[in-house]
Parts: sequence; structure tokens; C-alpha cells
Amino acid sequence: MLAALRSRCSSLPSLFTLPPSPSLLDPSWKLGFTAPNRFFASSPSTGAYDISEVLTIPEVEKILADVKADNVTVIPTKNQCFWADFTIIATGRSDWHLRNIAQALVYKAKQKQKGAKQIMLPSVQGYNTKWIVIDYGKFVVHALDEKARVYFNLESLWTAEKSDSDPSDQDLQNAFVKIRPKNNSKRKPAKVSS
Amino acid sequence: MIQPQTYLNVADNSGARKLMCIRIIGASNRRYAHIGDVIVAVIKEAIPNSPLERSEVIRAVIVRTCKELKRKNGTIIRYDDNAAVVIDQEGNPKGTRVFGAIPRELRQLNFTKIVSLAPEVL
Repeated sequence: MLAALRSRCSSLPSLFTLPPSPSLLDPSWKLGFTAPNRFFASSPSTGAYDISEVLTIPEVEKILADVKADNVTVIPTKNQCFWADFTIIATGRSDWHLRNIAQALVYKAKQKQKGAKQIMLPSVQGYNTKWIVIDYGKFVVHALDEKARVYFNLESLWTAEKSDSDPSDQDLQNAFVKIRPKNNSKRKPAKVSS
Repeated sequence: MIQPQTYLNVADNSGARKLMCIRIIGASNRRYAHIGDVIVAVIKEAIPNSPLERSEVIRAVIVRTCKELKRKNGTIIRYDDNAAVVIDQEGNPKGTRVFGAIPRELRQLNFTKIVSLAPEVL
């Protein structure tokens, strides 16, 4: 146990020392623009390849509140699907408003990484439609029109599945429980007599 | 490997049952479509009283193919049927729910909407 702790402690400083090293590699990155190993050199440094680290969920909620998106719901979907930990659903009043929501989320991500070597941006899908998806990797923001939200009913999809899975599990568990069959043939006369 | 004249099942509740591919979108002389490609299709069979009708021309995204899908890590995915999800010109799905297992490659191909409606992602 102690040894494990010590090894962890010893590994921690090495992690902290990693970030400066790419800055040393920086000139080489600038010179050798075609060098294929620059990806390997820069990936452990910033870790910015995972866009979901750029913005956290409270921050996204604050942005959505700032652009006055209605009905913001955050659904933890970690247990239900592996591809997203959280699903955030928001309603926009008009097409312009929806576009502004998407723009604000992209802009904040851009602003937060100002000065970084590589800027990671979320992927935005369906920019000119009633349903805009802003995909941050670990969590996905859905900005929907009011009608589209009612039509697709994403909340029920993600919340209903949980309740659906539970009873089926219970049924399965009940099926495997051994129940001693009741012998009713001998009890019936007793009931009649009483 | 979907080519014109291929019949596909429909993996959503849009109302269509069977599609026939008539064109693959993307290149001028493309022979086969694979998972994640958009095709133009005709509805060959539809559920009665649904918004989509027989012989209507629609766009669809292929979500399952009998032809195996190879991943970089060596995994191979092969489904029992060819299936597609009906979309409109803007890329929004026509139905509200997607049925069956769906490969996660669709997300990288900018079909997160379909992935988010699916019950199972492989």
C-alpha cells in the first residue's frame, strides 16, 4: 500500500514536469512543420485533444443562462450510453436565438483557449436548422426549437430508458428466484372447513 | 455495399418500411455506399396513415450494412441487414426514434442527432 502511494507520488512530479517540455519542443514544431511526430510531442502537453476539458458543465450552464436559453435540462447519461456522460438540452425562441446559442458556446471555448498553440472547438451540426447539436465529446448540448423539442422529446428518451431497464431487471431477477411450488390439493379442504 | 436498386430496411419510426436506393450522394460516379453515406431512395413500402407515402423520394443515411465495417483497431462489425434512417434536406431525422444498434462512426461523420436518438451504440 505504502509502496503504491510512494510510486504514485513519484509519478506525480513527473506529470507536472511534462507540460514545460513541449515548450522546449516548440521551436522544432515551428521549424519542422511537416514533421509527423509533432502530434505525439504536443498531445501529452496540453491534453487539449479532449475538447470536453475546455469547458465544464457549470460553465456551459452559465453560458446558456447568459444567452437566455429556456428550459435548460442536464441529464446524466453516464450509465445509459458510453459516448456521452451528460446530455444538455436547451430551447431557443427562434432560429436566430438557436444560432446565437451555438455561437456563444463556440466563442467561449475559443476565448478560453486564447494563446494556446492549438485551439479545440466543439463540432456544431445542423447550424441552420431547428435542432443544433454542439458536440464537446464528453457531453453534448442540444439546442432545439420549441416545436422540435416537443416532437423529438429527448428528455423522455433519456429518462424513460432508465425506468424501463429497472423493471426488466426485476423481472429477470424474479425469474431466477426459486419458488417452491405450493401444493394446493391438500390445503383446499382445510380452507373449506374453516 | 449499397448501390442503386438495393433494398434497405428503415431503422426509425418515420413511417417508411422499405427503401430502394436510387442514387449515392457524394461523388459523380460512385459505385457503392457504406455506413454513414447519404443516399437518395424511394419508399417502396410504408406504414398506412403515416406522413411518408409509397413511391416518395427521400434522403437517408445508411446505419447498418451486411458488408463488414473495419475499424482501425482491427474490430470488424457486420450486421444482419442493410438499414437506413430517413432524413430531410437539412439533415434532421424524420422519425423521432431510431431502432437497433448503430455504429459510433456516425458521430464522427456528423450524424450526432441520429446517434443521440439510438438506443444502442456499438
